[in-house]
Amino acid sequence: MSRYLLRRAPSALLVLFLASVLIFLVIRAIPGDAAAVLAGPDAPPEVVAAIRHDLGLDRSLVGQYLHWLGGLLTGELGRSYLIGGDIAELVGDGLGNTVVLTLAALVIAVLVALLLGPLWAATRSRWVDRALTAFHTAAVALPTFVTGVVLIIVFGVVFRVLPTGGVPPDGMFDRLDITAQYLVLPAVCLGLPVAGVLTGFLAETLRGELRQDYVTTVRAAGVRRRDIVLGHALRGALPVAVTTLGLQAGALLGGAVLVESIFAWPGLGLLVEQGITRRDYPLVQVLLMLSVAVFVLVQLFTDVVHAWLDPRIRLGATS
Amino acid sequence: MTATLDSAEIPETPDAPEVAVPRRPGTFRRGKGLVGLVLVGLVVAAGLLGPLFVSWDPYQQIPGANLLGPSAAHPLGTDDLNRDILARLLSGIRVDLLISFVAVPVGALIGCAVGAMATVNNTLDIAVQRLFDVLLAFPQLILAIGLAAVLGPGTLSVMIVVVSVEIPIFGRLLRTAVLRVRESPFVTAAQVVGAGKGHVLRVHVLPNSLEPVLVQLALSMSVAVFIEGAMSVLGIGVSPPEPSLGAVLTTSLHYLDLNPLFALGPLAVTAVLVLGFQSIAQAANAARGT
Repeated sequence: MSRYLLRRAPSALLVLFLASVLIFLVIRAIPGDAAAVLAGPDAPPEVVAAIRHDLGLDRSLVGQYLHWLGGLLTGELGRSYLIGGDIAELVGDGLGNTVVLTLAALVIAVLVALLLGPLWAATRSRWVDRALTAFHTAAVALPTFVTGVVLIIVFGVVFRVLPTGGVPPDGMFDRLDITAQYLVLPAVCLGLPVAGVLTGFLAETLRGELRQDYVTTVRAAGVRRRDIVLGHALRGALPVAVTTLGLQAGALLGGAVLVESIFAWPGLGLLVEQGITRRDYPLVQVLLMLSVAVFVLVQLFTDVVHAWLDPRIRLGATS
Repeated sequence: MTATLDSAEIPETPDAPEVAVPRRPGTFRRGKGLVGLVLVGLVVAAGLLGPLFVSWDPYQQIPGANLLGPSAAHPLGTDDLNRDILARLLSGIRVDLLISFVAVPVGALIGCAVGAMATVNNTLDIAVQRLFDVLLAFPQLILAIGLAAVLGPGTLSVMIVVVSVEIPIFGRLLRTAVLRVRESPFVTAAQVVGAGKGHVLRVHVLPNSLEPVLVQLALSMSVAVFIEGAMSVLGIGVSPPEPSLGAVLTTSLHYLDLNPLFALGPLAVTAVLVLGFQSIAQAANAARGT
């Protein structure tokens, strides 16, 4: 197991390193002098110079990069001049909300997929099949901002039953029922595409498993169809589902930015949006790096879980 | 959004497959393929012909028509700057179609060229693979945000973002397909009779590797619509006053309480367009019959 992890880790680290260089260079490539912009149009030259020194812009390019990288590793991310406050604090505040939202979406997606995937694979009813095909196509294809706005119109404008934006006023863990009310629309919106993709892959893999010889054997032994699907075929289909889930992490990260913007959910996504619109590049730089790091780590983690679930991969890796 | 096409399932060095002669009787004449073509066709027709039938100009500010509800003169109402929403919606379709039908093919072309070239040379291959790894390590929308930060908002920026997002996807896809086809017996046969590397790639391998690319093309067009809308929602899309599906939708978000129908137009068109592309992709994928 650990040997498999060791084998995969270097390439993940290389990708992270190259991504950090890329992000650093791209942000540096933005035209205009950041210090002059921050100081404002009427600032005297010594103020501009002081800000430039403060930002570390008077150092060499390599020096700046190493300083930034060191800051990333130690958590000293500098100050955000335009939004105000310590970048590390801003990120910390947003991270909690984003994690709550993403986890809720993930739970919804997995539950829906575990419910509908086996149903879709095992169903003999044409109508169930058609309904699930329609659900799958719509969930996969419809952009988050379309489903999000539809949810707001239906539950917030027409029926007025759920809050359509913001977070619970007294914190996430004060009253769980209120938190759930605030959470349900954004979480469903964020989880729906993942649920669609996951349901599709799970059903597809299950159908493949159901055609295998061992299923015929089990069926011949008199096991009920339901137990075959849930007890035998699902075990074989799970590794693929886990990998799919890992690949969907990117959709979740990108989707979170959109969903937070639509539902005014004060997480990292909203922070990214503010950073971009107010041109707070040190903040954007950190957030970009953070999302790439999360994405790469999730994929690495997925591969390891996949190997753990599927001995063929694990053993293939050690040979 | 599924952006990549079963790339996870294709092993790095696959066994030699037999290259099937494609049999696709009427993929686009019935079922999903037909539905997809009709949906996309409707939107294209609305975008091309629609503005001719609406008497308002999408940029014209009509005196006294602030945030009106639907009426005979303005079927979808008017927006916060007194402009006719239907006119803006129909013109906005053109912008989205431009992005889908220009930026995606350009990205596909560059990606395929890079992917195909990389298969010729080993060192080049490793370098390109690493580059693609890094680009694919960015979640699509995050990459879009990063690029938009540098480029600033605007239609051209959206197109550049779409091109950049598509390059690694198509590059990876074509490379996998080329490596798979290259193991086929007929390629070996061509090499045995003395065909050069470039000739084999151009005449034998590439034409047989294009099938997955065509499927991905339809998928990527729906992704392009998604990226355009998402960038507009985040305030980094096409710059006002230019209309686009995303831009019209974003404006409507502020007035959902006042006039939910305002949002309905862009929502419906976006949904129809995206579902159409997706259905075409699914039908084409099923027709590959692998």
